[in-house]
Amino acid sequence: MSEKAPMTFEETMARLEQIVADLEGGKQTLEQSIKSFEEGIALGKQCREFLNQADLRVRQLLEAADGTFAEGDGPDDER
Amino acid sequence: MFPAEETVFEVSELNALARELLEGEFGSVAVTGEISNLRTYASGHVYFKLKDAAAQISAVCFQREARALDFEAEDGMQVVARGRVTLYDAQGQYQLVVREMVPAGRGELERAFRILKEKLQAEGLFDSARKRALPEYPRCVAVITSPTGAAIRDIFSTLQRRFPCVEVLFVPVQVQGDAAPAQIVRALDAVSAHADPDLVIVGRGGGSIEDLWAFNDEAVARAIHRCSHPVISAVGHESDFTIADFVADVRAATPTMAAEIAVPDRSELLRHVGTIEQALALRIRSQVESTRRRVTALLTSYALGQVRGRIERAMQRADHLSARLASGNRSRVRELSLHAQLLVRRMTGVGPRVERTRVRANELERRILRAGSTGARERSLVLGALEGRLAGLDPRAVLMRGYSVCADARSGRIIDSSAGALGARDLRITFHDGAVHAAVDGPAAEGGQA
Repeated sequence: MSEKAPMTFEETMARLEQIVADLEGGKQTLEQSIKSFEEGIALGKQCREFLNQADLRVRQLLEAADGTFAEGDGPDDER
Repeated sequence: MFPAEETVFEVSELNALARELLEGEFGSVAVTGEISNLRTYASGHVYFKLKDAAAQISAVCFQREARALDFEAEDGMQVVARGRVTLYDAQGQYQLVVREMVPAGRGELERAFRILKEKLQAEGLFDSARKRALPEYPRCVAVITSPTGAAIRDIFSTLQRRFPCVEVLFVPVQVQGDAAPAQIVRALDAVSAHADPDLVIVGRGGGSIEDLWAFNDEAVARAIHRCSHPVISAVGHESDFTIADFVADVRAATPTMAAEIAVPDRSELLRHVGTIEQALALRIRSQVESTRRRVTALLTSYALGQVRGRIERAMQRADHLSARLASGNRSRVRELSLHAQLLVRRMTGVGPRVERTRVRANELERRILRAGSTGARERSLVLGALEGRLAGLDPRAVLMRGYSVCADARSGRIIDSSAGALGARDLRITFHDGAVHAAVDGPAAEGGQA
């Protein structure tokens, strides 16, 4: 598990499932299992933090008079 | 003045006769005209005139039928009304009792809809084989709809409630009127070119077939078809399908439902993550336990007891020899005791592993406590208990009983064979109270294998 790009939520969930499968496979040494466990706990925490994010982020794609589109901030009247 | 034989009607009689005549003659008719003087009474009945350039007729649409209209009738609107020609006796007024009414041109719209639907169907635009699956956990959802309608509010609030970690790329467009189709097409193409979204919701709230017409536009259908991201259509309220619904990868009956389909429910996901964490803790616990059982079995094994006896005998022999060779070969004595140590080392090789496990368990507990979730805290109690048991297997306890650990003095590697010891030359022997250095002279004559 390289630490290059941050994993997407999908990748994080897939990795978590893989870790559980590895541990359930029972083929790992204790040392490897403890590493997997720690990684799993850390990923679980990441997932929780991600899911508990409070507010929807809204950006707008607006059409200019010449028909091109450019990105702007979300609508002002956002709750 | 009147011929005697002439019939003289009461007014009621005449009106009744005229009504029968009208109703019998016309039955049900369809009339097209412009609505004027429209008034809705508290009863819910709607009264108006239908007129053209030269003439007009009174019309009434009773509450039951008025409620069923799928558009807002108003003055100036061209409509086709179907109903019964009759006469309102009380006022002697000829009128149309409207059963059904649609905006003029509805027939053409419906025909155009059918033709376009058949055409696109024949081209394969609706084929279920080409429908794309929606991503399970989208990072970004593009939403193409009106900035002012209820649709955008419903979509935002549903996304906020279910999965607020998603990002929204909102493209405001007109969803009604002549400019709407072209705007929707340009928005779909712009979103296609945009790297961000994982899927697109395009739609609007409910309305009459005329209101929804932009979503029955051929160009809009083709733009949905060529969109590079999966598209959820979200037009109207439940019942009516638009062409956009047929082309889209997924059809949602309402904007709210589109948002529900687009993203998973975070509370379910949180529960799922919790289940995974429990499974992790369970697995690690069972593996630590089974390792502990193996270590215990080794340390209490009959084999180890036997070896201990042999070691004790070997040490006795060493003492004996050293006494006998009082002046003589001290290195030989050292060899003997070295050999005894090696034997012990082999049987207690599990010791350092137990120690490492204990250290890891310690470290793990600290991390989990830091993580702070209550579930993790419970699990750390379990691990704490395991740690206590593992501490009971501390290799130092073994050393206290008279054994020692032999390692290469330079590399620090544990040596568990005489060959290894010969290769090392300089040894570091650890006792319960400290370590000493020792040199290897050569193989021991009466060593044999333990």
